[in-house]
Amino acid sequence: MPAILEVQQLVKKYGDKTAVNGISFDIQAGEIFSLLGPNGAGKTTTISVLSTLYVPTSGDAVIGGHSVVKEPMAVRNLIGVVPQDLALYEDLTARENLSFWGQMYNLSGKALNARVDQVLEQIGLKDRANQRVKTFSGGMKRRVNIGVGLLHQPRLLFMDEPTVGIDPQSRRAILDSVKDLNRQGMTVLYTTHYMEEAQELSDRVGIIDHGDLIALGTQGELTRQVGEYEALQLHISEMDDSEALAQALRGVEGVVRADVIDHNITLITPEAEKILAPVVSRANERGIRIHTVTIQEPNLEAVFLHLTGRALRD
Amino acid sequence: MKKILAIFQKETILRFTSPIEWLFFLILPLFFTFVLAGGTAGNMDTRTRLAVVDQANSTLSAQLIAGLEASGSIRPDVKTLAEAEDEFSKRNVSAVLVIPPDFTLEKLREGALALDLRQLPNNLNSLAAYQTVQTILGRLSSSVEIAQQSVQAAEDLRPFENDAERAAYFDAALDAAQTELSVAPQRVATAQALVEDPVEYDPRANSSAGQLITWVFIPLFGISVTFAYERATGTLRRLLTTPTRKATYLLGTLLAAVFWALVQMLLLVLFGIFVMKLNWGHSPAALAVILTASALAASAIGVAMGAFVKTEGQANGLSIMLGMVMALLGGCWYPLELFPAVVQQAVKVLPTRWAMQGMLDIVLRGQDLSAVLPEAAVLLGFAVVFYAIGIWRFRYE
Repeated sequence: MPAILEVQQLVKKYGDKTAVNGISFDIQAGEIFSLLGPNGAGKTTTISVLSTLYVPTSGDAVIGGHSVVKEPMAVRNLIGVVPQDLALYEDLTARENLSFWGQMYNLSGKALNARVDQVLEQIGLKDRANQRVKTFSGGMKRRVNIGVGLLHQPRLLFMDEPTVGIDPQSRRAILDSVKDLNRQGMTVLYTTHYMEEAQELSDRVGIIDHGDLIALGTQGELTRQVGEYEALQLHISEMDDSEALAQALRGVEGVVRADVIDHNITLITPEAEKILAPVVSRANERGIRIHTVTIQEPNLEAVFLHLTGRALRD
Repeated sequence: MKKILAIFQKETILRFTSPIEWLFFLILPLFFTFVLAGGTAGNMDTRTRLAVVDQANSTLSAQLIAGLEASGSIRPDVKTLAEAEDEFSKRNVSAVLVIPPDFTLEKLREGALALDLRQLPNNLNSLAAYQTVQTILGRLSSSVEIAQQSVQAAEDLRPFENDAERAAYFDAALDAAQTELSVAPQRVATAQALVEDPVEYDPRANSSAGQLITWVFIPLFGISVTFAYERATGTLRRLLTTPTRKATYLLGTLLAAVFWALVQMLLLVLFGIFVMKLNWGHSPAALAVILTASALAASAIGVAMGAFVKTEGQANGLSIMLGMVMALLGGCWYPLELFPAVVQQAVKVLPTRWAMQGMLDIVLRGQDLSAVLPEAAVLLGFAVVFYAIGIWRFRYE
């Protein structure tokens, strides 16, 4: 399958600060590719360069055969962008918004009207088409925000953390719509800091941290980087000293590493079941009560933890 | 072009979505134009009213009042002393002229006449009253002097038989002198053009032009609000990920702002023509040039401001403040001639000054296209400079 996007040694610096540090990857036509990383990792900067908003400090990216540096207008015809924050005119109706943005994507006349109707149908807002966006719920606004990016049927859709700050129901709807779009043949570059979203949606995942692409591949390929390790997660009381317990657990045979986030301790180990008894014993010795214990198969969270020593939410 | 029109349409919908926009677009500008002009002209006497207390009831006092009545700037309104003082204390009149009981020809001949003119301080109307009274009084004095010289000359040729004959001759000479002097203003008018910086003021014309500039410049400066809003909502950033150039966006936004500014100006001009009976329409070409140049200059300042402001609130406040200050200093609210000479020179850096002068050239001075070209050229110069700054510093986030 041909690559619709090829990113070549892309660098973006702001003064002394390097936001994107020479990343390279490609996306095949028809796949969903996720860029997974914590806040500030460089995901939005990457999308901004790829959508021709920023000129890279060095390197280039080619979309559909066109360089984002040399042929930005040609690139813009091929891409759709769904920004992280709502970028709509709230005093216009949903139809007026879609019609305006459609014209910005060179649609006009009957073709424009037809596409606006199709997108309204697709985002489930046909019956609210003539109401002002400012009267919509957060989830409905998100759907219009996505709809704008679909109007001109782009070959590559950039979705920059589209589920940030929304309710679970709307989030679910957005994830389903991404899968639907992909089933219809659309290629999607999806950025997120939610491991679950990347796992659910992606054919391939790039893990980005501090501007570096630290891992790239299918989920299987990535989890194999962690080896045969499993993650044992403990949730303890807010009253107890989680750091002290983690320190004690690092001494348990078979524990490769122990990380603390709030009152959750994640232990990386080859065999979670085998260390369960000594872990509970160490906790009891310190009078610490473990509320829940979860054993996880190797996942992207573990991969990130393995590669960076930090959790995605850090 | 389709995209420019789409942006124009979007801007128009966004601007007029709120009914309150009509308040600023039309209702308040018309209201202030009307009120600050002192109402409409129609058949109304728009001369400054001067309360006159005639305690002499003499031929001479009647001639003085008749002279004032014939003037183009003062309308004498004869009152009793109590009525006049009451109106003056309530500031209903700017000046009161008290003609004393001894205001007679005899006193005039003796050069011992004194009039009592009470004026409000720092008031243009009272100043105009003072000047008019001086003019009429001077004319009366000249008439008497001419009549006296005529009597003397006649007596040198042939002595009068008695005082009655002398008095009759004097009266005839006085009549003749007054008749001749009554046409004097025409001769004075030919010299008026040589006087530097005359205070040219017609409340209706000044209000119409001044309010037009004030209420149109502020929303044009408000282009900066559009830019700040689009940056805050992320729509500008999104727009520039579509196959749309910055120039297209700027042109569409400017087209909407300038088009609606011209419509607003045209409506205010039509109000001036049809309701206030002002002579806006004698040179449509001059009017079109000065209105367009003014709109372009103000919109350019809006674009330049838009490149520097950070928030919508900041842009809003700055647009209103700059609009008000520029209107005030540009002579839109008071005649520039009232300002010190230094200020009059300094405000040449303001586009409102040139817009106001250009519009007064048309509506007050009745001039044509060639007369407004210098003002239009300066305004277009402002437009070029500020567009260049705005486009150079344009940013989308």
